[in-house]
Amino acid sequence: MKPMPDSTPTQSHEAIMIDVKGLVKKYNQTAVVKGIDFQVRRGEIFGLLGPNGAGKTTTMEMIEGLRRPDGGTAIVAGYDTRKAQDKVKEVIGVQLQSTSLFELLTVEEIVNMYASFYKKSVPVAPLLEDILLKEKIHARVKGLSGGQKQRLAIALALVNDPKIVFLDEPTTGLDPQERRMLWDIILKMKEKGKTIVLSTHYMDEANILCDRICLMDQGSVVALDTPENLIRNLQSESAVQFRIEHHEQVDDARRQRFTEQLNRLEGVKHVSVQGDRITLYTDHLQEALVRFVELAETEQITFQDLQTRTATLEDVFIARTGRSLGEE
Amino acid sequence: MKAYIQLTMAQLRIFMRNRQVIFFSLLFPVLLMVMLGSFVGDSGVSLSGLIVDQDESQASGQLIASLEQQGIAEVGQSADLEEALDLLEKGEHQFVLVIPDNYDETVMAWQKQGETGPVPDPASLTVYYDETNMVTSQLGLVAVRQVIDGISKNLTDYQPALVMEQKPVESLGLQYIDFLVPGIVAMMIMSNNLNGVAGQIAAWRERGILRRMQSTPLRASTFISAQITARLLLNGFQAVIVLLIGFLFFDTQVRGSWLLLLLFVILGTLTFIAMGFIIAGLARTPESAGPIAGMISFPMLFLGGVFFPISSMPSFLQAMVKTLPISHLSTALRQVMNVGADLVALWPQALVLFGWMIVSFLVASYTFKWE
Repeated sequence: MKPMPDSTPTQSHEAIMIDVKGLVKKYNQTAVVKGIDFQVRRGEIFGLLGPNGAGKTTTMEMIEGLRRPDGGTAIVAGYDTRKAQDKVKEVIGVQLQSTSLFELLTVEEIVNMYASFYKKSVPVAPLLEDILLKEKIHARVKGLSGGQKQRLAIALALVNDPKIVFLDEPTTGLDPQERRMLWDIILKMKEKGKTIVLSTHYMDEANILCDRICLMDQGSVVALDTPENLIRNLQSESAVQFRIEHHEQVDDARRQRFTEQLNRLEGVKHVSVQGDRITLYTDHLQEALVRFVELAETEQITFQDLQTRTATLEDVFIARTGRSLGEE
Repeated sequence: MKAYIQLTMAQLRIFMRNRQVIFFSLLFPVLLMVMLGSFVGDSGVSLSGLIVDQDESQASGQLIASLEQQGIAEVGQSADLEEALDLLEKGEHQFVLVIPDNYDETVMAWQKQGETGPVPDPASLTVYYDETNMVTSQLGLVAVRQVIDGISKNLTDYQPALVMEQKPVESLGLQYIDFLVPGIVAMMIMSNNLNGVAGQIAAWRERGILRRMQSTPLRASTFISAQITARLLLNGFQAVIVLLIGFLFFDTQVRGSWLLLLLFVILGTLTFIAMGFIIAGLARTPESAGPIAGMISFPMLFLGGVFFPISSMPSFLQAMVKTLPISHLSTALRQVMNVGADLVALWPQALVLFGWMIVSFLVASYTFKWE
């Protein structure tokens, strides 16, 4: 009989690759990351989702060892990122939010250069094949498109065959076709067993790619779960959105009363107000719609741009913070 | 080690592929040589005079021949005094010598006079000269006086009681270009490295290139060493090219050893690279790196003996100037090239430069930041 392995497959699958505890970062006395905790499991795509300024990049850079935390710890692949920086750097790959590369070097030269910084590295040709840049191997960086440059930046994050890959807003500024191409590449990285930490302010991207999402706002974790659970916990399948016509002519007291009445409507779980835009969350769409129209009639409020849709991560964020992802 | 080689190669490739930078960083010193070398370097070289021979005798012919032989001035002849003076006023000649028609007679009288006869009247030669151009006119007058003195001493059997023997000590035959080229090379070494390093590192920091490297296990010391190696190769090579251009096309003298010259080029390059790193560390943005580098390099350009000799400055400035690294670099280059000094003679310069280099590197390693 062969001896049993020390760790069962389930245990290794659930192993913690990153353990963040009470991480704090301050700039000029103001905390931009206010003591956050989370754990990233081996082999998952972990998303940091939040608007610009939520502290996603700062959080990632503290874990990578690029910024010194003002409090808390981050353990990466078993190493404390503050105490064993060099060990951490060998096992992670990083794509920064805005990296520019040496424009006058070729793709091959730049990959080889980055490979030389590590003890261990992967061959250039298969790496470029994986990120669909094989035909550009001898092209200079200068002549690459925005999407190709971004894919090269991701290739550089993979050059040391890292256990954990950090992608900071990898698809920002790309056209839809390039975004889809990058999503495929990221999903393939996951298939190959990489643990991926990805920040984004696109909810569709987080929804498609991430196994678990950490919703961040103003330096704090707002919610952390799988995309499905986040939406389920909203306990609303649908969202009803509309604008109040002549918003500015309706006085505050009247609007206040209207909102309170909306909240008490049967079937409505949650109401979110952003300026003249109001969103109702419900798991009984038809009933809620009928009651809403009745209420608007009695209160003599005219609405416009009425739309109903299935609830999304955006709605989760709005429900939790009162603001949308697009707002600063 | 492989990171060091890769980074050095990368820097060399970037530089070699940036043709515009190569072109202009070589063009500028050559242009300076051509401009300054030809504007200032010509003084005192061409001296020409006109002789109006009113006597047209054998004796006057001999006088003209000895003037021509002396070779200081180019002499032409003119028949008409008016015309000759007109040319003098136009500045085409620096002097006009008039030989009177009684010249032959007077010379004969002096020759026949012997020891006892009555003393004849001397012949009077008139020299017209351009008073607005005293320096060259003086040279012309000296040349003419020498010849005439010689002839009249011959005629009178003059035995000099005192003889002055002329022994030139430094007959190096230096021209302004010889002073200029070492200065230009020193200037090049300073500006290429100081501004080049400061600007590039600050720009790389701004664009996040350094930050990206910081997220790898690459060490700052490896990065800096590779930078230094690449710059040393490139800027050292450029300095040698400019030296060769001066040597081959402008007849700049190189009396000392080329090896020693190279040593000082390397020492200077290292010193200014280190200073460039300091500026890159101080500058918060790439936009401010330029002015900071300029603030340091510009005064050095004028005070450091690049274009003007340090000895011609006021003494209170000299004391300050003598502490600048550029002064020691330009002095050392100049001494090697102009005088052929060896390391034994130049150890103070070498020592001061070395000191600047060490201190700069210490400060640079302390102030260097990835971000």
